[in-house]
Amino acid sequence: MFLITYRKIFLAIAAVIMLGSALIIGSLGLNLGIDFTGGSLTEVSYEIAPNKTELENLINTQNLGGISVRASVDEAGRDAYLIRTRDLSESERVELESTVTSLGEAGEISRFTSIGPVIGQELRDKALYAILGVVLIIVIYVAFAFRGIGTPVSSWTYGAITIFVLIHDVLVPTALMSILGYVAGIEVDVLFVMALLAVLGYSVNDTIVVFDRVRENLMANRVEKRTKREEAGVMYEDVNYTLTKPYDKIVGEAVRETLARSINTSLTTFIALLALYFLGGAVTQTFALILMAGVLAGTYSSLCIASPLVVTYAQWRAKKETN
Amino acid sequence: MTDSSQPQTPNSQGFIRAFRALVIMLAVAGLAFWVYQNAVQPEADKPFKLGLDLAGGSHLVYEADVSNIDAAEVPELMSVLRDVIERRVNVFGVSEPIVQVESSSFVTEEPVQRLVVELPGVSDVGEAVAEIGRTPLLEFKLYDEALAAQQETLQNLESLGESATGSRAEIGNVTIDGEAISQEPPFRDTGLTGRYLETAALEFAGGNSGQLSNEPLVSVRFTAEGAELFAEITRNNVNKQLGIFLDGELLSAPNINEPITGGTAIISGGFTAEEARALAQNLSFGALPVPIELQSTQTVGASLGAEVLGKGMQAGVYGLGLVLLFMLLWYRLPGLVAGAALLSYVTIMLALFQLIPVTLTAAGLAGFVLSLGMAVDANVLVFERMKEEYAKGISSREAASIGFTRAWSAIRDGNITSLLSAIILFWFGTSLVKGFALVFGIGVIMSMLTALVVTRTLLLTLPDTKKSAGTLLATLLGNGIQK
Repeated sequence: MFLITYRKIFLAIAAVIMLGSALIIGSLGLNLGIDFTGGSLTEVSYEIAPNKTELENLINTQNLGGISVRASVDEAGRDAYLIRTRDLSESERVELESTVTSLGEAGEISRFTSIGPVIGQELRDKALYAILGVVLIIVIYVAFAFRGIGTPVSSWTYGAITIFVLIHDVLVPTALMSILGYVAGIEVDVLFVMALLAVLGYSVNDTIVVFDRVRENLMANRVEKRTKREEAGVMYEDVNYTLTKPYDKIVGEAVRETLARSINTSLTTFIALLALYFLGGAVTQTFALILMAGVLAGTYSSLCIASPLVVTYAQWRAKKETN
Repeated sequence: MTDSSQPQTPNSQGFIRAFRALVIMLAVAGLAFWVYQNAVQPEADKPFKLGLDLAGGSHLVYEADVSNIDAAEVPELMSVLRDVIERRVNVFGVSEPIVQVESSSFVTEEPVQRLVVELPGVSDVGEAVAEIGRTPLLEFKLYDEALAAQQETLQNLESLGESATGSRAEIGNVTIDGEAISQEPPFRDTGLTGRYLETAALEFAGGNSGQLSNEPLVSVRFTAEGAELFAEITRNNVNKQLGIFLDGELLSAPNINEPITGGTAIISGGFTAEEARALAQNLSFGALPVPIELQSTQTVGASLGAEVLGKGMQAGVYGLGLVLLFMLLWYRLPGLVAGAALLSYVTIMLALFQLIPVTLTAAGLAGFVLSLGMAVDANVLVFERMKEEYAKGISSREAASIGFTRAWSAIRDGNITSLLSAIILFWFGTSLVKGFALVFGIGVIMSMLTALVVTRTLLLTLPDTKKSAGTLLATLLGNGIQK
């Protein structure tokens, strides 16, 4: 199986992807939206939109501190501006509404969200805990479900590799979000966190299918040797398994046999996401894009990272033991 | 196709299989019809519940300051607060408002008590905030006979006017003695309000002296100042009606039989014990039991929400169509079976959305569209295993059966991890994330179930053949790359 034979190349690519993504996130940062920082977001739609600088200047007369105005198009296709300010009081909101609708033609507030700083902080904590919680439970489950897989690496190895795979799958969409934030000013919201969690679920499922086949092939390609011995009057029975094929061949076959399934499920998921991206409207467009990146990353990682890594680790251990 | 040595058994088995498949498909079709009826009929009992971002409306989050309150009393106070606000929201005349208490999860150091108010269809958030921000008002008002008489006269005039000219607008401005006639219930202020209330309690009328036994009543005790005012009012207005108003709504209007000097009053009005208890509770906290502060607001215009909903549905329909097409082209006959399973999945999910009910949001819709692509996974797993066996020369039906056995462990492990993720999400999440987690979790279970029941039954009903037969049927049961 070429994925296993040339595993060094695929693992090197993965390392580059992960490092690159981490660098992008580190240097560009994430453009956190008001869901996490607190603040207000007002979408005002116009039949004929006013000039952006004119609008900015007028809002600035209200002394709301730092504001940002971003041109956009609302769900009905009208020209709109997204105005982000700090958390607004009721009177400030009313004043802002009359200010922005005084310009342009037929201005109307189509969406208004205001989030207090406490809720923002809490949401940020929750998002982090949720992601960590999901990763932890997945690893424990994988280690549990694959117990007894035995030779030549323990089930905890599969669990640990799953973590590594999941880090890869979180880094890629997050880096994309970082770029989107830098280039297009798109902000990280709760939907992004949901997309990440969905990617985690998708990717681990993909990885488990491959590992499941590895488990099955290991069972089919081993001989059991039982030896009995007596120690202090107690009978012991030792069971030893010997693989009839090299481990890398067994893993390679498992990958080959699950390849079609991995690609087909990725394709159907990707197709559904494409429909969401092109037809689903502006609210969930970024969500769909992040998920597409996640599905691609998840497919790559379960095929080109998980299994190659488990083989590389097994060989490294075997080498260490013989030395 | 029949086995010559035992002609009967396979035939009857085939019949049973076909019958089962028919029953399943009819059940799904029936369910689909029911879902459709619920979705399109305006008066259905189980319509889809749309979130504010799809239906339009306002979402307000208040934080209650419970720092000075004994922790044991907090839940009760919050429920009182909820009732007070709910009553006010109902005055606002919104259809299906939601007022709920939400306690921040254990993640934060200090639990924060929040009150979430959802007002569908209210896009003027300012008006809503003002309405809720109003302190609830308990008022005692005297029946105003003069005003009642004027109102009656006006009504008579109106009905006269209607029959004469058909125009109400002109009559609406009629003034008597130079004053506009109030259209409010005919009561006038006495100055006695909830401010003078000390406590209110639930009581039951005694069974003596001809009274209806055990009728639930609410007794209120005034403060010293209030008692004085109350005594004065009752002394001067014997045999008149005293209206008791909460937030401007007339609760009851008992008759003043005699001057009341003891500083207590009884409110009766044919309450059930439950109603009386609620009223006593609400009166005791005529003012908000704890101060609240507006933390976050969210408003979505109704037209915008409809737009989002329309696009989400469009994405769902096209996504479903494309996935069906892909499965059919790649897996041929089994692909058709997977299509039936996917349609069953969609039907069951939509039915559950209506039944539970799950509040649909833009995020929930997006998650559902995503699940359309992932739901065929169990089918794909089985078909791939089936293909392997089929290629070895095993008959198609047996290959399908083996496919299910072999794919089971992967389906199980994959779905359990997904389910665990959903549970964690539900546990940690805010209401928005909870909705997503719920849809995600139910989706995992249902996609597995439809694969195991619908796909399995239909697949085993398909005619049995071998790859080596080389017929059209043999090709249709193969897939993708193979001939």
